[in-house]
Amino acid sequence: MSDHLRSLADEDLMQLVRRGQASAFEVLYERHSQAAFSLAYRMVGSRGVAEDVVQEAFLAIWRSGGRYERSRGSVRTWLLGIVHNRAIDALRRSFVHEKRRASDEGLEEMLETGERTDVEAARHEEAATVRAALEHLPADQSQVIELAYFGGFTHTEIADMLQTPIGTIKGRMRLGLQKMRHALGTGQVSLG
Amino acid sequence: MSTPGPEHAKWAENVGAYLLGALEDEERGGFEAHLETCPVCRREVDDLRVAADALPVSVPLVAPPAELKQRIMTVVRSEAELLAAAGARADAPEDAAGRPAAPRERRRWSLAGLIARPAVALACALALLAAGGLAGALVAGGGDDTRTVVAQTTARGADVRLEIGGDGARLVARNMPAPPPGRVYQVWLKRPGRDPEPTSVLWSTRKDGSAEAAVPGSLDGVDAVLVTDEPEGGSDVPSKAPVITAVPA
Repeated sequence: MSDHLRSLADEDLMQLVRRGQASAFEVLYERHSQAAFSLAYRMVGSRGVAEDVVQEAFLAIWRSGGRYERSRGSVRTWLLGIVHNRAIDALRRSFVHEKRRASDEGLEEMLETGERTDVEAARHEEAATVRAALEHLPADQSQVIELAYFGGFTHTEIADMLQTPIGTIKGRMRLGLQKMRHALGTGQVSLG
Repeated sequence: MSTPGPEHAKWAENVGAYLLGALEDEERGGFEAHLETCPVCRREVDDLRVAADALPVSVPLVAPPAELKQRIMTVVRSEAELLAAAGARADAPEDAAGRPAAPRERRRWSLAGLIARPAVALACALALLAAGGLAGALVAGGGDDTRTVVAQTTARGADVRLEIGGDGARLVARNMPAPPPGRVYQVWLKRPGRDPEPTSVLWSTRKDGSAEAAVPGSLDGVDAVLVTDEPEGGSDVPSKAPVITAVPA
């Protein structure tokens, strides 16, 4: 694969993917597959299902590259949004809330061990920033955000689970995101 | 200062649940309709999206297996080759009589559109099979010399199996929708490097969505048993993408 392709921005690679250039798609895969797989695995708690989710998501991206719109955010955000939706589909389709949660300890042997590039180092810093923002939320707010975003539960299911009025659950989600937004500030965390 | 849209008070509390993907389908549709008319909610969604979009960044990193890339790229390269092979014709829109029109503005590349072409669709299905993307799963045998393979189907909610016994094979479907009016299901056999071979097996479903269809001949050397819907009387060349794909091996 050429260094030229590797030097291109995601948005430029998407232009080539739209024209059917497999090597451009491969660069995108290499760039984002770890984040995609990590998100899918965090959500579904099974390596096999996470692989299915990532495969479905990337093939959907390959086949619909023309649907990416620069105005809707970065390629990475768009791509992870597709992975998130596919993982929710998988959760609601077959696992419905009986999935095994992956423990952070159990993941150690699977963590990337390669040499850190500057980009990867920056992403680790971003991850720490977002985790800190999440951890600083009141427990009832971070709980509903985690259950909704990573667990794939609807607000109705969460309200049942926590035996709390739906309006309260919605309020916690909104307030939690507002606080996270404030903590992250402007431009401190970029998904580009 | 923007003026809130109609029923702002009713919908505003949904901003967080919407961004986290936690609204029920119907509610999400209602909220998105509200967003069209409410600049206040639109602004809040845009603002809080930064926080929601940051959530995936927080997860512990896990390296995907190398085989996953291999599987995905096998499909991608196969489809890219098909695209390249079909490229000239794909860019020449046909006129009403089916003849290529004079060169004009190039159409935007669309693999989805290309896949809608029958020959390409079948080839793509087989590329997926080669990559394991659609590979059927072997389930418990139905008898001493019978084994059952779960088929892949595009029909939502349908369950289709290929039963392979000593005296032949058959497709067994449950909850399968009837073919469109004026059409029937037709069975095809796909062998490596060859176009799908039509069979004389044409079938429909019972009122309860069940059906059985015998697969004629031996499955030796057959990559996949395919089913498409075709005009009554069947076709010599598939006219649509497969609705059922079963891999005997």
